[in-house]
Amino acid sequence: MRLTSGFAGALTIGVAAAVVLLALDSAVHVLMAQNPFGGPRPSAEPQVGGIVGWLLSKQSEFYREMSSTIRAAKSDGSAVWALLVISFAYGIFHAAGPGHGKAVISSYLVANQETARRGIVLSFASALMQSLVAVVIVGICALLLNATARTMCGAEKVIEIVSYALIAAFGARLVWTKGGGFIRALQAPPPLPAMALAAAAPHDQGIHGHDHPHEHSPAHAHVAHHGREHRHDDHGHDHDHVHDEHCGHSHGPVPRELAGPGGWRRGFGTIFAVGLRPCSGAILVLVFALAQGMFWAGIAATLVMGLGTAITVATIAVLAVSAKDLARRLSGAREGGGALIMRGLEFGAAGLVLLLGVGLLFGYIAAERVTCL
Amino acid sequence: MAIATRRLLALLLLAGSCALGAGAAQAHPHVWITATSELIYAPDGSITGVRHAWTFDDMFSTYALQGIETKTKGVYSREELSSLAQTNVESLKEFAYFTYAKADGRKEKFQEPVDYFLEYKDTALTLHFTLPLKTPVKPKELALEVFDPSYFIDFQLDDKDPIKLVGAPAACQLKIQRPNDGTANAQKLSEQNFMSGDNSNYGAMFANKVTVDCP
Repeated sequence: MRLTSGFAGALTIGVAAAVVLLALDSAVHVLMAQNPFGGPRPSAEPQVGGIVGWLLSKQSEFYREMSSTIRAAKSDGSAVWALLVISFAYGIFHAAGPGHGKAVISSYLVANQETARRGIVLSFASALMQSLVAVVIVGICALLLNATARTMCGAEKVIEIVSYALIAAFGARLVWTKGGGFIRALQAPPPLPAMALAAAAPHDQGIHGHDHPHEHSPAHAHVAHHGREHRHDDHGHDHDHVHDEHCGHSHGPVPRELAGPGGWRRGFGTIFAVGLRPCSGAILVLVFALAQGMFWAGIAATLVMGLGTAITVATIAVLAVSAKDLARRLSGAREGGGALIMRGLEFGAAGLVLLLGVGLLFGYIAAERVTCL
Repeated sequence: MAIATRRLLALLLLAGSCALGAGAAQAHPHVWITATSELIYAPDGSITGVRHAWTFDDMFSTYALQGIETKTKGVYSREELSSLAQTNVESLKEFAYFTYAKADGRKEKFQEPVDYFLEYKDTALTLHFTLPLKTPVKPKELALEVFDPSYFIDFQLDDKDPIKLVGAPAACQLKIQRPNDGTANAQKLSEQNFMSGDNSNYGAMFANKVTVDCP
């Protein structure tokens, strides 16, 4: 129960922060407009309708306010606070756009029957890594080597390709593992209704033991996973074998193979693949701050930006996991086919990671690519 | 059960559209360019090329100047910026110079840029370059668009006199459509288009369109 409240607390804080920010946005906006550091507001905003256009214009505004705020911070230290607020807001809005591994992380979580808690950890860790990579690139290239923007952009491009290749490789591996589970589920004879229930819904319960009372709420489903992870952490690798003996059912051992200590290692893989690619915006801000002799302010802005990004990515990741939990409970209640649906869903999500990686690598998906001018 | 299923569908749809829409969605600009352009006419009234002057925003200007050696700090001569200008026009080739011309509806091609140089003034870099048309044209209607399809760069036409006709026949009439003045409504992208992922030419709705009619 302690864990439930911890998770719920974290989630609430994240979502609440996003909501509060959205609500306060207009207030912040007025503040910025009147703020002497706010700089002139863009005279015209693109006429794109709906949420997307709104997101675009918001992040553009925040981004454009950054340069004038950094300039202002040179003479007036209090402008640094304004810079941090803008950076945070920018991070939240910006992450709703392409990149930042939302799709990759969410698909990974769905494919791997991961917990929302781990989704949040992954989101924050990869956002932190993105920020740090940007700081390291600019720190080494611009600060130490005084390299030109062209060199730096070249480095960014290489890193981008490596990151996409890693995502593709990662997706291929997921497809390989998940494909097995899916095929096993396909080949399995349609289970009796009672079996279907046993196979789909309560297998968490069976595995995680009796630490937690079983209840039908999404939060508890997460806790169930969570409990399982910890048991794995405690017991180490040999645990897999025990499970295989216990659960030789048609639904296959796949989910349990992927959670546990090995799962964390894979989780690290996601962080690395996604977090390796820095945000072009952060690089620009850092170089600009460096030129103003305010590198530290740039670093602070980048980290706060990463925090905002993490909140958005984590929210979407939690949404994806919740949707899957709901799907699991519904398919568990359905006669037969429940396991098949879930394995199919996981397989599809794994395929999505692979497609995203390949698409990004070969430029089929126009992500926020590195443009060197 | 029916309610639960609907809830599930809604959730899945939401999560899916977030993940996919976000995955395939387009960038927002990181670079802002204020553009002025000149259409250059030969004495016989045919158009020979376009001369651009693109001023980059404060942040990108500073970024681009990173690592450029200069004699006096903060002052950059045209010569000191020549290699950067060279890099700029070479890089722009990959993006077709973000310049799209149609003569009476037919796409025109440009040669490599000439007379290019960078200017640094008031903490902003301005890139000047001339794009000669492969073959000069003398159309009834010339349409010129300047935009980045991927919308990494936001192009805004300068507020006053963004387009000049140099040596054009007196009868020629100039019309300018800015992306934000409501005239470009036809290019407005609906939410559906966006979510379906068909946004390969997303930046087009932020295009600045210039038409010149010469009867």
